[in-house]
Amino acid sequence: MAAAKHLSLIRRAFPARRLLSTATAAVVDPPPPMAAEEDVISMKGVRISGRPLYLDMQATSPVDPRVLDAMIPFYLSRFGNPHSRTHFYGWESDAAVETARAQVAALVGANPKEIFFTSGATESNNISVKGVMHFYRDKKRHVITTQTEHKCVLDSCRYLQQEGFEVTYLPVRPDGLVDLDRLAAAIRPDTGLVSVMAVNNEIGVVQPLEEIGRICKEKGVPFHTDAAQALGKIPIDVEKMGIGLMSLSGHKIYGPKGVGALYLRRRPRIRVEPQMSGGGQERGIRSGTVPTPLVVGMGAACEISMKEMEYDGRRVAALQERLLNGIRSRLDGVVINGSVEHRYAGNLNISFAYVEGESLLMGLKEVAVSSGSACTSASLEPSYVLRALGVDEDMAHTSIRFGIGRFTTEAEIDRAIELTVNQVEKLREMSPLYEMVKEGIDIKNIQWAQH
Amino acid sequence: MASAASAPSRAEVLSLFRSLLRTAAKFTDYNVREYAKRRTIDGFRENRGLSDPSSIASAFADGRNQLEVAMRQVVVYSLYAPKVKSVMEIGSG
Repeated sequence: MAAAKHLSLIRRAFPARRLLSTATAAVVDPPPPMAAEEDVISMKGVRISGRPLYLDMQATSPVDPRVLDAMIPFYLSRFGNPHSRTHFYGWESDAAVETARAQVAALVGANPKEIFFTSGATESNNISVKGVMHFYRDKKRHVITTQTEHKCVLDSCRYLQQEGFEVTYLPVRPDGLVDLDRLAAAIRPDTGLVSVMAVNNEIGVVQPLEEIGRICKEKGVPFHTDAAQALGKIPIDVEKMGIGLMSLSGHKIYGPKGVGALYLRRRPRIRVEPQMSGGGQERGIRSGTVPTPLVVGMGAACEISMKEMEYDGRRVAALQERLLNGIRSRLDGVVINGSVEHRYAGNLNISFAYVEGESLLMGLKEVAVSSGSACTSASLEPSYVLRALGVDEDMAHTSIRFGIGRFTTEAEIDRAIELTVNQVEKLREMSPLYEMVKEGIDIKNIQWAQH
Repeated sequence: MASAASAPSRAEVLSLFRSLLRTAAKFTDYNVREYAKRRTIDGFRENRGLSDPSSIASAFADGRNQLEVAMRQVVVYSLYAPKVKSVMEIGSG
């Protein structure tokens, strides 16, 4: 028939062509120059033979395959908006969100009604610090925090200062722990919030949450803690620790990025002024459509962490010891930043004396680690956390943070030891300062001649 | 739906163990592959001493669920496997 002949002519003239364009078709510009021939990655002037081994778990963690498995259906057929009350898609999505809420609550010993989903720990910190103080602005004008808090807490406090509130930034001891007596002494009748992070992201130090909670309860001040690095790694119990507000992050516990949660105590009720205006979702605390796939991912991550906390904890502690012993047995002048006893094992921040940090990192391209100043990487100044510990400038510049996690293997630790030791030895060999130290000269007492 | 009321036989447990290890070995991602293998071995070793039939049955059911998850995720990871492998797979550095 004419139509069929017509069609077959067309088919011969134009070989099979996809009529539908997929999003991955070459409409987008190709990524920045990255040669991938002969299995070599070349990016930013560095050539490496393969993807680096990942030891930066405090920056972010890989998504657990079990978490991904829980999330995918919500990107495929179960795509409903959880706030659509009128149809099955909405009900299904809402049920998933509530399940996730219960999973998060179970991990911290809270009631599901006390968990509110946000876009991450940064948003939760903002709501906690600004929200609480704004709500109680008539009676409470003072905030207490520490000098080693995460940038978002410090920045929120600075914002409050500009509004006329007073903030006390408590110093920490050289081991990174907050001084409990100074904390108790700093609390005033008009103190509206005490904010101390549970596990520090740079040095891994674990603060004495139970004691701080007890002090705050005695004095009647709400206790906020940024538990982004602590969730799923150390046991958290909001009752035992007297926690009033808590910020949680999804992507630090092998969950997806872009989601976090805020724990807000109901008894006694802590009120906050919402930072996001809108339709009143999440009981008015945080307006905006709750992102079901992300929230489901966070819930699944929390449930897995609850089951695996002991197993992972043991493994990570053993790997940390392996890393430390491996490095210490071959190098001297290795200093651990922060308390050794009160630390989360998966965070090892060490300084190598007589070695410059940037050059050490440049030589460690097959290991993905960060230097101590990761969070302030835009500027050249060494990390404020290390400065608060009283670490000397030169030692602060040479700090490296190794992040060990659930998926880290012994072979990776051994390779990291090898690469680190080699690079440090190479740099020290080139260093005239190290030569002088080896000869017994005390560097601090040198009189440098003027030219 | 498999009923978890009766405890599995030794043969079934061994078969599940082997299936999990075989599936784990298929992951294209180095870290996930190593974790899956290691967790399977450690998990079965930990539960070796279970004597109560209902806890054996629930551990077995849990294992089967994990197997299903693993089989799906092996496919997903292989669909998006990066062209360049991890340095750990390439050889000595």
